[in-house]
Amino acid sequence: MSSLPSPAARGFSRRTLLAASAAGLAVVAVGCTSAPPDERERVTGAQADELLGQVGVQETLVAAYTAAGAADPGLAGEVADLAAQAGEQLERLRDAAPGATPSSPSPGTPPSPAEARAWLRDQVATAATSHATACVNQSGARAALLGSISAGLRGQDGRLA
Amino acid sequence: MADDGTGDLAAENDALGLALAAEHAAVWGYGVVGAALPAADRGTATGAEAAHRDVRDSLITLLAERSVEPAAAEGGYALPFPVLSPVDAAALGVVLEDGTSAAWVRVLDQAAERSTRELALEALTGAEVRAVAWRTAAGQDPVTRALPGLPAQ
Repeated sequence: MSSLPSPAARGFSRRTLLAASAAGLAVVAVGCTSAPPDERERVTGAQADELLGQVGVQETLVAAYTAAGAADPGLAGEVADLAAQAGEQLERLRDAAPGATPSSPSPGTPPSPAEARAWLRDQVATAATSHATACVNQSGARAALLGSISAGLRGQDGRLA
Repeated sequence: MADDGTGDLAAENDALGLALAAEHAAVWGYGVVGAALPAADRGTATGAEAAHRDVRDSLITLLAERSVEPAAAEGGYALPFPVLSPVDAAALGVVLEDGTSAAWVRVLDQAAERSTRELALEALTGAEVRAVAWRTAAGQDPVTRALPGLPAQ
């Protein structure tokens, strides 16, 4: 009898995933691209440019959380954990795109405090779609990272609903 | 070499095989989840089970088209903890979805074909959205994950 997936289960635990794809994911984790382990980790110029673009997309989303919170302080407290997760995603993207330099994009502002949540949801959904599109254009650890971020943002969208 | 030049299909097929194993486990596990929920709440588990059946069937078809023998489901699986209440059932739902998420992130990492990444992304997204609902029902906090399916750094 096999075990269902659990932290100790073989085949699909986080630990096993890490071991099985250590080469590719570790490259992303430390932001080192000097020795691509295989074809999947080779980055074309277009892919590198696209990844830098996704850093900008995520910077815009992080700024949107700040803007939504400024418009509706009650919402700011409610979504503090989501904003922190968006920041964590941004850091992982920056690690994966060593050429990325921090910028201060403006996502605009919510039309009114009452509409801040809906505006923020739209920003989250837009970022998720952008990362999903980029995911299928990439490969290896970059595709895994972008896909994971996109899925995480879809989860955020569901919570904001 | 695959059609988009990002690697060979053997690694992709291996990852798809692991994803199939995770989907088999999820289909089985949702039977346990549903049995522990009140009748009025079983629709969520039924819907999730149907989603995993659909993905499982797509995987079996894909692997068969590649002349790869799809892994069969186990006769039974060991539960990670006793499932005696609706909260336990929701927690098991989280385990099932997190397990498939990890498998699908691995597929993204190993995929050689764009169409495989599309399949993996759709499956991963569905799993995380369902996981958010189960974490909420299980009283877990936070209910969302920044990087579902990815190993912690």
